[in-house]
Amino acid sequence: MTTPTASGPTDDKRASFEREALVHLDSLYRVALRLTGNPADADDLVQETMLKAYRSWHQYQQGTNAKGWLLTILRNAFINEYRRRARHPETVDVDVVEPFSVFEDMQEEDPQGAFFDRIVDDQVLRAIDDLPEQFREAVVLSDVEGLSYQEIAKVLDVPVGTVKSRLFRARQMLQRKLYQYAVDQGYIKGSAA
Amino acid sequence: MNCRECVEHLYDYLDKELTPAVEREIRAHLEDCPPCGEQFDFEALFLKFVRARCRAQGAPPELRRRILRELLDE
Repeated sequence: MTTPTASGPTDDKRASFEREALVHLDSLYRVALRLTGNPADADDLVQETMLKAYRSWHQYQQGTNAKGWLLTILRNAFINEYRRRARHPETVDVDVVEPFSVFEDMQEEDPQGAFFDRIVDDQVLRAIDDLPEQFREAVVLSDVEGLSYQEIAKVLDVPVGTVKSRLFRARQMLQRKLYQYAVDQGYIKGSAA
Repeated sequence: MNCRECVEHLYDYLDKELTPAVEREIRAHLEDCPPCGEQFDFEALFLKFVRARCRAQGAPPELRRRILRELLDE
């Protein structure tokens, strides 16, 4: 370990790390929380990610996509060390997910989707947590954190086409869950199934 | 562009993943086709809704302090 001097390389490194990496802490935490399913593991996973990132900061190309780079480190750490402890380690055969269009169902009753407004944060987060992992991570990276298909493909290490099909399925599943919740709560009538 | 082609591009369009040329074609179709327009609006609202509901949460202040302390020790 080196002792930091007034404005030595250690200070420069820390300054650039804080400027380019630490600004993404909230995003990393939100993704970690959805992956691990509990705040204590999310804390540890993010801390470990930041430490790993700091130690390999020299491999990061300044000015490129730091958020994607950090999320890749986070996801790999999750797979290697946390997944077996997570609440939902399962994967799913995408073909068994039945397609269902909430819009088609709501076309008559609520085509403007006003019922969404009545669904609170916790309920949405719970619905996301109930998604199988490969769908959950796609939704979180895209719809919550705003990554592009290309960036998500890089983080998940899958082709862009896979990202698109997972996102499509994930959004359908999520809509369906929230729709069912709104029906159960009496916010909407829904189709008489 | 017909309705089927338009809806096939629904998420690519909402995610801003299309080339400007295809995007223009879709926009033109949506202007002429209220049913497709309604579906796109519904899906756009859904995506906006998910984002709004999930971004309130951030890293706890204690975690930020813990990380900053760790970096100082490195």
